[in-house]
Amino acid sequence: MNAFLYGVALQWKLDLRNKGILLSYYIVPLVFFAFMGGILSSINPQAKDNLIQSMTVFGISMGAILGAPVSLVELYGSEIKKAYKVGGIPLWIAVINNFIAAFVHLFIMSLLIYFIAPLAFGAKTPNNLALYFLALGIFIIVNLLVGTALGLLIKSPSKLTMVSQFIFLPSIMLAGIMFPVSLLPKFLENLGKIFPATWGFKLMNSDVFDAKIIIPLAVIMLISIVISGYQLSKISLE
Amino acid sequence: MNVAIQIDHLIKSYGTNTVVKDISFTVKHGEIFALLGTNGAGKTTILECIEGLRKYDNGHIKINGKIGVQLQSSSLPANIKAIEAYKLFCKWNKAQENELFNVFDLEPLKNKQYKDMSTGQKRRLHLALALIGNPDIIFLDEPTAGLDVEGRISLHSQIRKLKEQGKTIIMASHDMAEVESLSDRVAILKDGKIAFIGTTAELTNNVGTKYRIFIKTKNPLQNAVFEQGYWVFTAENISNTLYELLKTCKQTKNTVLDVKIERATLEQLFMDIAKEEK
Repeated sequence: MNAFLYGVALQWKLDLRNKGILLSYYIVPLVFFAFMGGILSSINPQAKDNLIQSMTVFGISMGAILGAPVSLVELYGSEIKKAYKVGGIPLWIAVINNFIAAFVHLFIMSLLIYFIAPLAFGAKTPNNLALYFLALGIFIIVNLLVGTALGLLIKSPSKLTMVSQFIFLPSIMLAGIMFPVSLLPKFLENLGKIFPATWGFKLMNSDVFDAKIIIPLAVIMLISIVISGYQLSKISLE
Repeated sequence: MNVAIQIDHLIKSYGTNTVVKDISFTVKHGEIFALLGTNGAGKTTILECIEGLRKYDNGHIKINGKIGVQLQSSSLPANIKAIEAYKLFCKWNKAQENELFNVFDLEPLKNKQYKDMSTGQKRRLHLALALIGNPDIIFLDEPTAGLDVEGRISLHSQIRKLKEQGKTIIMASHDMAEVESLSDRVAILKDGKIAFIGTTAELTNNVGTKYRIFIKTKNPLQNAVFEQGYWVFTAENISNTLYELLKTCKQTKNTVLDVKIERATLEQLFMDIAKEEK
């Protein structure tokens, strides 16, 4: 196995050993799914139509915004980066490893929701399976890019928790996954449009590919890439 | 070429604070060269400039050979196992996973996670990582800091073995005893400048042979430092100083209870240089 693949596989294993990351990638999203899946499908049978999408959006947002940046802050905010630098390991590689490992974790978590929801709560599966998984992939990537930018911007774990929550909570409350956005005041409905969760939820519920939904996600993705690239170049020059 | 590292007029500042002030020195192939100094003297900054971890403001650094670095403060992901870290570093350096892991007695620790390792075990792991790829020049920054006696002895023995293999070692330390037992040449740093450079023998000659006279008396003595029940005098001429001291005691009817004479250690000489002009 070459160095790059070994690093990705190793990061995936390290994530599984990290209780904090395990909680945000699997345990909390799946426990939330188990509780809310039961509650939502009982009080509103229509919720079964997009239960898979709503619980998946919650899980991915949590994992990517609250979990994925933790490993980056651990590395770039500590002496580990020096050890990597003198050990001949490129500093950017940790970002790539973390991204790919987190993608696999969040995809597995999403698959668990996809397969369990119909059996446990009678949830409806998406009509266009290919489009759903394409949307799922895009949504995971955009969220992980936001998480990566956070992990590179913020140096201390306590600040990261605060900022991540500041993004995660409104994402969930304003995306329409808990209740229709039409119930929200116009201001909050518009505010929700700056978070990827709103667009990800729409994309995963679409039966046809809609470029209008992709554009805001592409903008968020681009901004995150620019921030991450700038931060990485700064770290390398330090 | 006999020169492993050549430093010319190195200057490094942090903001307005210049911590390395126009330093020049060379390190020869196969020698153990020590940078000595009190905390804040600039040892780690100089090493990090040579290692490429820090940019410097002026000067020139030339390195003839592949380098391996053990940092003063270093870390690895908390959950990584020793063997995983070793394999990761080997793969990125395109190095064979050879007997290094066993040389540093890491085999029993291979499945131990980094967060569960003792300071000594971490130091051994980082030293093994520094030697991956068979470097010619090895940087050791405070290699035994935080180690117990057993750990220090073990690490010293490993450093000597590296020298026997022909490796060049440049180490930073504030432990004179360690430097005295390991190094061929020493540079003593003081306020970002080299206050002395040479062998330990030259250091002794440079400063002069000093003796410490310990006297235990019934009543206090003047112009002396009190250490562990003795009045301590530093002297270059034992007979004159001792004669004067005993004469004073006799004249003042101060009973002498005990007398000891010690040759000043290299550590005391280092402290003398470090304290000069302060």
